[in-house]
Amino acid sequence: MTTATTQHAVNASGVWKIFNEGQPNEVTALQDVDLTVDTGEFISLIGPSGCGKSTLLRVIADLTDATRGQMSVAGVTPHEAREKQLYGMAFQQAALFDWRTVRRNVELPLELQGWDSGKRKARALELLEMVQLADFAEHRPWELSGGMQQRVAIARSLAVDPPLLLMDEPFGALDEMTRERMQNELLRIRQDTGKSIVFVTHSIPEAVYLSDRVVVMSPRPGRITDIVDIPLGMDRDEDTREADAFYESVTAVREALRGHVGGSAQRAKIGEV
Amino acid sequence: MSEQWADRLKYLWPPVLIALVFLGGWQALVVLRNIEPFVLPAPTLIGQEFLGDIGLMWQTAYYTGTTAFLGLVFGTIAGLAMALLAQRFIVVNNLVTPLAAGLAAVPIIALTPILNNMFSITSRTPRVLVTAIIVFFPMLVNITRGLIQVQPTQLELMRSMNAQPRTVLRVLRAPNAIPFFFTGMKVAAPLAVIAALVAEYFGGPQQGLGSRIAGSAANTAYGRAWAYVVAAIITGLIFYLIVVAVERWTTPWTGRSRSA
Repeated sequence: MTTATTQHAVNASGVWKIFNEGQPNEVTALQDVDLTVDTGEFISLIGPSGCGKSTLLRVIADLTDATRGQMSVAGVTPHEAREKQLYGMAFQQAALFDWRTVRRNVELPLELQGWDSGKRKARALELLEMVQLADFAEHRPWELSGGMQQRVAIARSLAVDPPLLLMDEPFGALDEMTRERMQNELLRIRQDTGKSIVFVTHSIPEAVYLSDRVVVMSPRPGRITDIVDIPLGMDRDEDTREADAFYESVTAVREALRGHVGGSAQRAKIGEV
Repeated sequence: MSEQWADRLKYLWPPVLIALVFLGGWQALVVLRNIEPFVLPAPTLIGQEFLGDIGLMWQTAYYTGTTAFLGLVFGTIAGLAMALLAQRFIVVNNLVTPLAAGLAAVPIIALTPILNNMFSITSRTPRVLVTAIIVFFPMLVNITRGLIQVQPTQLELMRSMNAQPRTVLRVLRAPNAIPFFFTGMKVAAPLAVIAALVAEYFGGPQQGLGSRIAGSAANTAYGRAWAYVVAAIITGLIFYLIVVAVERWTTPWTGRSRSA
């Protein structure tokens, strides 16, 4: 491992993921993916269903193995990164445990790391403060709205203070207003903590608003077709959503997506005939 | 507080009303049609028999209830142990489920005489075993489901936090299975009373509900036989209500979760 790779939050080169390889139902979920995420960078993976964006996130998280290729996370293998808890993860479902209070949900990763209960509690309250849910620490998850539950999940993913956050459509199930509030909150957390973030989404404005770079992916086979730089700087707020530069970036991402989405739809049609 | 009681009454009065109408109709039928007690005893007669010998009713129900309770405990422990194995080893799961289903299908009528011969007929053991076998199946099926039916995202979360299978069992699967455990218990507890009662039909000590229902019927004391039936119903109901109370007390998150 060279020192160059240790400076990257994520480094993928020539990564393939093939399901049921050699069988009639073989699916190439990822084809020859090269991707580098710098430390402190916010990257979004965007593309239609089946483009492999979630699979790529799962390979980074060591929730599934790459079939071929090299992947490093914070300078080590994904497996080591998972063992050492070098990343925190949030999913589309908050996946909170109903039998635990909000605070004890946030404490879960710390509990698994063997922290003692006093330190655990202090850290959890600090994180709940950060996501502005300190008043709800002793509530049960089902007493909270969807957006609040997702904030708890984000607090939980930050619990062990990992350098990298992996987020799989965390705001996908929320209404538009809540979603925009959550995006602002995530940007603020990023500013406060300096985490590297890999964020999977379906939403073009969401990807543009949050990211330094948007990675555009395309299905059958899942691959990276374009990487769009978002020149909106670090200070983003509600006004950014109205800015010309924002619309230009949205258009750039949309065109990058359309080129490939249209093409594959065309192919699918031909395939059906 | 009074609002809470008004709320409870709202749910309470329909079943009470139906019970009263049912009993009233029954009484009217017996009186107006002059039906003999050996065909159908009147509710008032059954009530007289029941209240007239309430001490004996209690003793009898207590005896059978003890058998049912012991069978429930052993059957639950066996079901829990097997469910823990089944969630860990898919082979055990594939082996145990059809076996348990087969065991559940064996009629008590066939099982009890065999167990009576295998163990001392004068002891409680064969009856407790019959009850345990009947209880085993619903407990196994429900607990296994609770251990296995975990949100896939929660499993991925546990994996992302580098949790080992034992930790996943302790932190996720076991608490997830608690509501399923109580669902099994709500079926198994009244079932245990019925199993213990039926097992008494096949000889052995005579101080239980099953023996006395059969004995009273044989002596044409039908009112008395029905009084024991009432005692059996109350016993089963008490078992059920205890389970419901323990469930409410230990798992405040069920019932209101998701829907809230």
